[in-house]
Amino acid sequence: MSEDMATPFDPGEWTDAADPVEAIASEVFAAMVDGEPGHLQPRSGPAPEPDDGLYAWVDVHGATRRRVLLTTERETATALTRALLGLSPDDTVDDDDIADAFGEVANVVGGNVKALVPDPGDLTLPEVAPTRPPAAAGLLHAVPFDWRGRPLVVSLWALP
Amino acid sequence: MRVLVVDDSRVMRQIVIRTLRQAGYDWWEISEAADGRAAYEAVLADPPALVLSDWNMPEMTGMELLQSLRAANVDVPFAFVTSEGSAEMRAQAEAAGALFLIAKPFTADVFRETIDPYLE
Repeated sequence: MSEDMATPFDPGEWTDAADPVEAIASEVFAAMVDGEPGHLQPRSGPAPEPDDGLYAWVDVHGATRRRVLLTTERETATALTRALLGLSPDDTVDDDDIADAFGEVANVVGGNVKALVPDPGDLTLPEVAPTRPPAAAGLLHAVPFDWRGRPLVVSLWALP
Repeated sequence: MRVLVVDDSRVMRQIVIRTLRQAGYDWWEISEAADGRAAYEAVLADPPALVLSDWNMPEMTGMELLQSLRAANVDVPFAFVTSEGSAEMRAQAEAAGALFLIAKPFTADVFRETIDPYLE
């Protein structure tokens, strides 16, 4: 492990047996998205790269620069938006709602991940895009999930 | 009781308002603002009984909003509902005069347990 990685957001510094990213994401989905636990489950293998993906992220600009990135299919982000807004599966949501909702999930997960580490600096506003964000230098940690049977990945990145 | 919910995310404002209803505050008259500056103008025009504000927002952050209101001698009850709940941020919020800080994700129970003591 490089010296750079022995810094905030370094999974190697997490001493608890449970993966804190997994715990945070599970809590966020249980409280904010589903209203009950159990619908976000760790995936047994890696998630496939989405065909029609949506990416939501927040950055932490402190002594080190880190990114919390959520990756899923657009269709899953749409379902997530309906769940957050308390809508039925037939209700229409527009692109602004989807970007807002998926970005907020990244924001809340990122805010809680940031709270794990001392002196992490400022959290940026969430960004959402149909392509992977540029400038992510190195993958530190990734947790693949299934949310209601649909792949969704939460990952932590070192920024240059 | 008139309450102003401030968050740059429309989805999050809806979630906060829905959770307030679930917590039993369905008697509140709730209005919304999309950033700190809009909230500042709304509070100056007609101060509500409580401001529930996000922290990290464009234009004017929640902390800047609170500080601006206090600088203008507006002593409206103010609290944060934000994605970061570190001890440092809670201390900053308290030092600036906030009543409390609720960290996202929240539940109706957390809202009730946190807010009820200030309504007595």
